[in-house]
Amino acid sequence: MIDLSFTLNGAPVSQRVEDRTSLADLVREGHGLTGTHVGCEHGACGACTVLVDGEPARSCIVLAAMCEGRAVTTAEGLVDDPVMAELRRQFHDKHALQCGFCTPAMMISARDIIARHGAAAPATIRKELAGQICRCTGYAPIVAAIAAAGAALNPSSDAAAAAPHVAATAAGASDAS
Amino acid sequence: MASPTSDGAPGWIGARLKRKEDERFLYAAGRYVADVRLPGLKDVAFVRSDVAHGRLLGVTKPEGADVFTLADLGPLNDLVAGPEIAEFRTSLYPPLAGDKVRFVGQPVAAVIAATRAEAEDIAAEVLVETEELGAVTDAVAALAPDAPRLHEAWADNAFIAAPVIAGDQDALAAAPVVVRRRLKMNRQATVSLEGRGVVAHYDRRYGELIVHLSTQGAHVMRRGLAEVLGLAENRIRVIAPDVGGGFGGKNRLTPEEIAVCAMALKTGQPLRWIEDRREHLIASLHAREHTYEIALHAEADGTIIGMSGDVYIDAGAYALWPTGAFMEASMAARNLTGPYKARALNLQTYTVATNKAPMGPYRGVARPGACFAIERMVDELAAELGMDPIEIRRRNLITEADLPMRTVGGLSLDTGHYPAALDMACEMIGVDKVRARQKAGEADGRVIGLGIAVYTEQSGHGTSEWMKRKARVVPGHESANVRMHPDGTVDIAVGIQNHGQGLETTLSQIAATELGLHPDAINVRYGDTATTPFGFGTFASRSIVFSGGAVAKGCREVAAKARRIGAALLQVSADDVRIEAGEIVGPAGSVSLAEVARAATLRPEFLPEGEDALLETTVSYEPADSAGVFSYGAHAVVVAVEPLTGAVDLLDYVVAEDCGTVINPLIVDGQIVGGVAQGIGTALYEEIPFDPELGQPLATTFGDYMVPCASEIPDIRIGHLVTPARVTEYGVKGMGEGGAIAPPAAVGNALADAFRQSRAQFLETPFTPRRVSDAVAAADGEGAR
Repeated sequence: MIDLSFTLNGAPVSQRVEDRTSLADLVREGHGLTGTHVGCEHGACGACTVLVDGEPARSCIVLAAMCEGRAVTTAEGLVDDPVMAELRRQFHDKHALQCGFCTPAMMISARDIIARHGAAAPATIRKELAGQICRCTGYAPIVAAIAAAGAALNPSSDAAAAAPHVAATAAGASDAS
Repeated sequence: MASPTSDGAPGWIGARLKRKEDERFLYAAGRYVADVRLPGLKDVAFVRSDVAHGRLLGVTKPEGADVFTLADLGPLNDLVAGPEIAEFRTSLYPPLAGDKVRFVGQPVAAVIAATRAEAEDIAAEVLVETEELGAVTDAVAALAPDAPRLHEAWADNAFIAAPVIAGDQDALAAAPVVVRRRLKMNRQATVSLEGRGVVAHYDRRYGELIVHLSTQGAHVMRRGLAEVLGLAENRIRVIAPDVGGGFGGKNRLTPEEIAVCAMALKTGQPLRWIEDRREHLIASLHAREHTYEIALHAEADGTIIGMSGDVYIDAGAYALWPTGAFMEASMAARNLTGPYKARALNLQTYTVATNKAPMGPYRGVARPGACFAIERMVDELAAELGMDPIEIRRRNLITEADLPMRTVGGLSLDTGHYPAALDMACEMIGVDKVRARQKAGEADGRVIGLGIAVYTEQSGHGTSEWMKRKARVVPGHESANVRMHPDGTVDIAVGIQNHGQGLETTLSQIAATELGLHPDAINVRYGDTATTPFGFGTFASRSIVFSGGAVAKGCREVAAKARRIGAALLQVSADDVRIEAGEIVGPAGSVSLAEVARAATLRPEFLPEGEDALLETTVSYEPADSAGVFSYGAHAVVVAVEPLTGAVDLLDYVVAEDCGTVINPLIVDGQIVGGVAQGIGTALYEEIPFDPELGQPLATTFGDYMVPCASEIPDIRIGHLVTPARVTEYGVKGMGEGGAIAPPAAVGNALADAFRQSRAQFLETPFTPRRVSDAVAAADGEGAR
């Protein structure tokens, strides 16, 4: 057992944890934050993605003990984030979720893509999203939603100039049908 | 967009309504089985067999540990599974191993501890002694007389062998052209992102076992649990909360689920088991593994006569309750003539036991294999005859004039324009442009191929069809309870299970249409045996046909009563009122549904004489013809292949499809794209190979089991045809599976097209870089590496 102090969704936490406890187990079982989903437990599917000091991390392969002094943010801690609000709108609009299991982590990754790339092109989004598995949607609506959110949040950027086109193409996956 | 309701008002059928169920997921507030919290909840871990086939000699438990073996669970009743066919050999699948273990991963013992980690620690200390027997890993070799026998009482390793012989056998024998091939679709897992899961506890309030279960059908699973546990059905409540994907994989009762329920009863403790990914890949149900040794018989002009040969289904070690994997063989055989005017079938099917996890249903059930076989064979026939693959399809496709028709396989195709779907797909993909590009060649040395596949998708089939399959449970109806509250809002409880299909939205659209309300005034509830009427669940592309039909029927009954009460309140005849936008509208005035509902519940003194209180009904529904309604479509794909490495890139993918009347186009397109992505997984990536000697599964993590990600799946372009069904409400057809049926065939045909000069053979999925480069090299005469 070790003593651990960190902040969880902005609130300071001090507790004893088993050395082997994963961050995913700590937030889910220790703190009831069940929006973090465990899909593979070996860092491959991305469903457990959280932010550690603002960077996306797979909480199933991060030990809780590694979070000493760090800021951990789960999907629940991002509900009031303006980028997440735009992503919620676009995921809803583009039908970018079906069973919902991958969705919270998918949105955390999407938020990170927008933070790093602004109004990203679909090809960039697909590449950046390669660590997140979704078994339901076939990805196209997710890519469309992230592109639209990126464009809406970055109205002055170059890529955003092409945003209506991007959005139209993205929606076209379903609209043209 | 809007179509008329039963009484002529504009409705919500066809509206691109955004999903009602999205909000909770977008706020990270979905609630799955693993999220259920109960005081005193303990975790379960399973000890699993690490040998493929062996006699179980003993299990040694660590001292003081809470470990269960089969003997500790009982007494349990035998849960007989598989079809009700005399020739079918049963194989009881005990929740924990009995005298033998028959696949790597089979549960042998179960451990209870405060946390999963502690339970796994203890599990690692449990000693399992086995006497190893020879492993059976190939469904064809399994039938050899000297093959090790999985089930000693059987004469060989076949669960069942059955012929499918129909049509003009003389024409088959006299065919001038016969093309023979051996095709294989390999084994895979279903890979819902949420694995299986169960939380079970005994609740003293009603004296019942409450089971939170990640399932596609709570009511049927309750039935199975009641049988095996020996409990009355009203002493078990199954709750399916949010379910993180199913795809067929959660439509069977599995041993871990039974064991956890039995242990919860024995211990009186709330228990939880959440499947991890390794368990899912090795011990959840498997899918797809078909081998076809078949011949396509044709006239010299390319007219298809029929198909002959052998079909082998690798069903794994056991039959899962209720019906196992035993529609696979007959569905594969009956679908082997595809959408073509074939006249004869002469097939022998073998459903074979091997030392692998049991096979179960997975999106498309048998048809991805059958479509792969017939559609690859049609292209092989075209190549043999020097014909164009599109032309040979036009020559053989069933046309509108032929419909309705009963195929030689006994399927009752109803409505559609199959050649129009082919034409639309060709137009969308731009066949001429692709051919021109092929001719020009690629600067990077890659080779371009165009592949087309046409499919049909039986959906919404009921009693007659499932009886034909000798199903142990016959999903011949669905039910709905419709309840209007005193304020005019509505709760609808259904027996199906929404797990991504958007049924909270589409069923609301149907109810809103029939009740003259906004969909927001409708709640759709499901997934709890205590609060919903009996239903079979969501599978086999049946929910919109059956549950949609039940909701329409129930809402019409409630609407008719509301019109009668409303008319009485307006003092006019019920014939003179209609229901519209929340009002009962008469010739000279209207009354709100809320007022009508208030009269029906809180203020019965306003009811007309002889009218019972309440606006509520429970109905069941089956379409007038239970043979099923057939969606269909054509897929076209352009691939670019690196000949030396075998890397395949999908440049373009189009779907032209017809699922009858569309309730919600947003959701229909979502189902198509998601299905195609899974079909691409089958075509190119997903496979669980086994060590042929030891029977060890060789894909046990996402490091070696490849699931397509965003960079592997292209944008899918979709075109729609709309030919309503004749026997369903609004003309709907089910369509949840179709997307997954055609991709292996389309991709295989594209590869064959890319290398049509060398006639490289692409007959086994997934088309991994190794298989593709080997096929290219073999055809180039370099020999396989």
